Amino acid sequence: MSSFARSPASAAARPIGDAGDFNSDIRLSVEQVSYAYSANPTQAPLFTLEATRFQARPGEIVAIVGPNACGKSTLLKLIAGSLEPLSGRVLLNGFVTHALPHRTRGQRIAMVQQESPLLFPSRAWEFVLQGRHPYGRTLRFETEEDILIARNALAQVGAEHLTDRFMDQISGGEKQRVILARALAQQPLLLLLDEPTLHLDIGAQVDLLETLRRLASANRYTVVVVTHELNLAGQYADQVALFQKGKCLRVGPPATVFQRELLEQVFQTPLTVELGSSGRPRVNMPSAK
Amino acid sequence: MRPLTLSRLLAHCAILSAVLFVVVVIALKLGAVPVSLYGLGHDLLRVLFRQTSQLSSEYQLIIFDIRLPRILLGIFVGASLSVAGASFQALLRNPLADPYVLGVSSGAAVGAIIGLVIEPHLALSPAVAALLTPIGAFLGAALTVTAVYFLGLRQGQIDSGTLLLAGIITASFLQAIIMFFMSTLTGGNYRGMAFWMMGELSTPPQRIVSLILRFGFFLSAAAIYTTASDLNLLLAGEKEAMHLGVDVRRVRLVVYIAASLLTGLAVSVSGAIGYVGLLVPHVMRLLFGSDHRILLPTAAFGGAIAVVVADTLARTVVSPSELPVGAMTAIAGAPLFLYLMRRRLA
Amino acid sequence: MPTRKDPRKNIAAGIAIVAFLLCAGLWPSPAAQAQTPAASPAGSLVYKEFVDEAGRTVRVPQPVQRIVSLAPSLTETIYALGLQDRLVGDTDFCDYPPDAQKKTKVGGAINPSLEQIAALRPDLVLVTKSLNLIQTVNALDRLGISSYGTDPHTVKDIVSSTERLAGVLGVPEAGATLGADLERHLADLQQRLNGVPPRRVLFIVWSDPLISAGKNTFIADALRLAGATSIVDSSQDWPHMSLEEVVRLQPDFLVFAASHSDSGQNDFEILAARPGWRGLDAVRNRRFAVISDAVNRPAPRIVSAIEDLARQLHPEAFSAQPGDEKEKKIPSPAQPQAALRLLPSSSGDSALLEVCACAL
Repeated sequence: MSSFARSPASAAARPIGDAGDFNSDIRLSVEQVSYAYSANPTQAPLFTLEATRFQARPGEIVAIVGPNACGKSTLLKLIAGSLEPLSGRVLLNGFVTHALPHRTRGQRIAMVQQESPLLFPSRAWEFVLQGRHPYGRTLRFETEEDILIARNALAQVGAEHLTDRFMDQISGGEKQRVILARALAQQPLLLLLDEPTLHLDIGAQVDLLETLRRLASANRYTVVVVTHELNLAGQYADQVALFQKGKCLRVGPPATVFQRELLEQVFQTPLTVELGSSGRPRVNMPSAK
Repeated sequence: MRPLTLSRLLAHCAILSAVLFVVVVIALKLGAVPVSLYGLGHDLLRVLFRQTSQLSSEYQLIIFDIRLPRILLGIFVGASLSVAGASFQALLRNPLADPYVLGVSSGAAVGAIIGLVIEPHLALSPAVAALLTPIGAFLGAALTVTAVYFLGLRQGQIDSGTLLLAGIITASFLQAIIMFFMSTLTGGNYRGMAFWMMGELSTPPQRIVSLILRFGFFLSAAAIYTTASDLNLLLAGEKEAMHLGVDVRRVRLVVYIAASLLTGLAVSVSGAIGYVGLLVPHVMRLLFGSDHRILLPTAAFGGAIAVVVADTLARTVVSPSELPVGAMTAIAGAPLFLYLMRRRLA
Repeated sequence: MPTRKDPRKNIAAGIAIVAFLLCAGLWPSPAAQAQTPAASPAGSLVYKEFVDEAGRTVRVPQPVQRIVSLAPSLTETIYALGLQDRLVGDTDFCDYPPDAQKKTKVGGAINPSLEQIAALRPDLVLVTKSLNLIQTVNALDRLGISSYGTDPHTVKDIVSSTERLAGVLGVPEAGATLGADLERHLADLQQRLNGVPPRRVLFIVWSDPLISAGKNTFIADALRLAGATSIVDSSQDWPHMSLEEVVRLQPDFLVFAASHSDSGQNDFEILAARPGWRGLDAVRNRRFAVISDAVNRPAPRIVSAIEDLARQLHPEAFSAQPGDEKEKKIPSPAQPQAALRLLPSSSGDSALLEVCACAL
């Protein structure tokens, strides 16, 4: 299977949003990004994301964890460029994500999130082909190459057998795979996933993370996953960012972030942490007394 | 896996064109005055070769001055309404949306009634007076569309839910105004207005109005068609569409304005013909799928065919009297709607 | 990367299609190249210009051989002028005289079939402003078919309108004769009613909802000439009345228009049975008059309806007639009574409907 990713050279072709200080090793750079949201312009902000900073390389998986409503999803949207940060900026290969034109953004950043219910359900291949939209001219029809890429994407997530099925007739896990395939069809540099494991059983969850691990290294994606599953994060992520109430408490390899006192403080419940043989931490609940 | 290709699109359009052609020929043949196909063919050829002096003058009058313009009007009104219907269904993410759901037809009716009421008080030449109804209707429609747009904004952007609500409320309000006016209209005016509101093609519009209708149709339909693949994505979800490179704001604005223009023009000319904008898109989805790149053109053809068929029935069923077209579309449309509902709207 | 050629080809094809459609859409309709409108072989045609009652200048071919009438009142007028042989088409509602029902129908008055009218090759189409639509007139103009419109508001207008129409149709003598006859009847009536105080009446167009005729209608004028005043003072043509208001005003008589005495009587009985109506003296004392539905049409026959009403309201002024308020006669100087009884009962309703549909 030929490499699914595009070479870095083509990604840097357009000078729009060029930030100038481009370190080729770092792909994603979140620089002191903050955000505030208020329903009414005259009222105080209801929610704030404080200055956050981390970086990621191609092939890395970053997990963003924390309790509910701590700003994880907001951060993801800021990274995706759909929200504009109050301060700071998000750089993808040196380009400010928010400043990218829609099409370009669609070619570089792919988002996987819970799907809105489909009004007129389409088949899986139609769905995946939507991922090619950022590459088309206005009045275009899909080309042979698009079809090939879409097939490839379905194969990469192991969903080839679902190609002709309707989206409303497949299971949650299968749907998740097809959604992921659509993201892959965008041939992105950055893959963002918002709580992808929510409705999946443990087998499917592991499956998904294994796939992400495989894809990240094979296709050189940078993957940012927002998740509740601490152990999945601990097992598969190269970096973990721990958030609480809009503030990033710690960023780094899982072993440094999953410290017992820190976790207990954030999640307000007694926990234990043990290091596995591979150096990966595992978080447990203490046995009942 | 069979994605849409240009050749498939053109093939489907060609088939529908052929169907439309046959329907038009039949419609030319039928009417209060019978016409033979042979004679019709001969006449058409003569017209093409500009030998109009050889035509029997009755034929010429009936076929070319009465029936053909009426059929052409039906084609463009039907096409406008279905494309607008499909667009609003995508814009509002609602399969029950039709071109009138945002109050355009009510606004047009108010405008037309006001035109009717003030006409005796203005000293106008008959040519201008005849334009008063379509102009009034169009102005009414335009004002309504603008008002609903601003009412439907949420944080500066068009929001489907808010827009739908704003439209429905505006429509109800305008209906109340219509009822008030109707109670004060006199005799023939009243009956004429009632017919207009049901949708009728029997009074041929002025030439300039026809031209504007056609031009407006092509312009708006083309504008909407440029957003066809964006609409596919929009229907899959707004946020998702945004991340897939769709400029949601721009698409919404273009579709809203273009679809409202289509509806406004159609209603100004023919009143509110119902069910076409609602059902034709659904039928076309059943036949050709929900991809808007094929849905929009086929809906246009389908709408044209539907209105021409309905109008032909309307003027032949109780000949020489005529039913309003809107009555025919309602009679056929309601059972069809039930049938589609049972199939879960494709 | 996808080859650049494909999208370009598609776009080019798209543009070609759009251009083709645009041309098709803008193709001048054959009507634009049409010769002069439907006419007899050129050369033998003479036109005369008239100004109709709506102020339009109308070119009328002479002589007028083929007439289409788009209003029942105009159909009646044509028969009254003796021109029925020239009438080639009328509306579905043209039912008087009975012979009119045998003419070729062109549809309703509001939405006639343009095709059918055109197929009859009329020299002139007759319309009236209160019933027909300006759109119909405009459409006929565009087809090159002349149309002449009447617009009578009073009974006197009806008479003069008839005379004017006779002139347009080329029979001024018949018009003058008819007009003089009608005037004579009216003058005679005035004389009889001279000094007699008018009765206060409520003319009932429709009972549920209660609709009457406004003061500017020819019906109100007809009532006046019959020695009655309508208690309705509205400037709307077909005002809705509230029962309370009517009870407050207490008309002396209720007046119904119907095709036979029986259905008129029926109308009264139905009305009397409704709650609230017993508050009217006229209902309790059964003081009502039924006249011909001719009163609804601005045609010559209205004069006989006026006379009839006068007889019922003021029997003492007509010494020769054994007037009974409740008994119904529909005398019409031009027609024997027997013919009228042959009228199907629905025709009266249709005329009623025509008027009422206007109001609804």
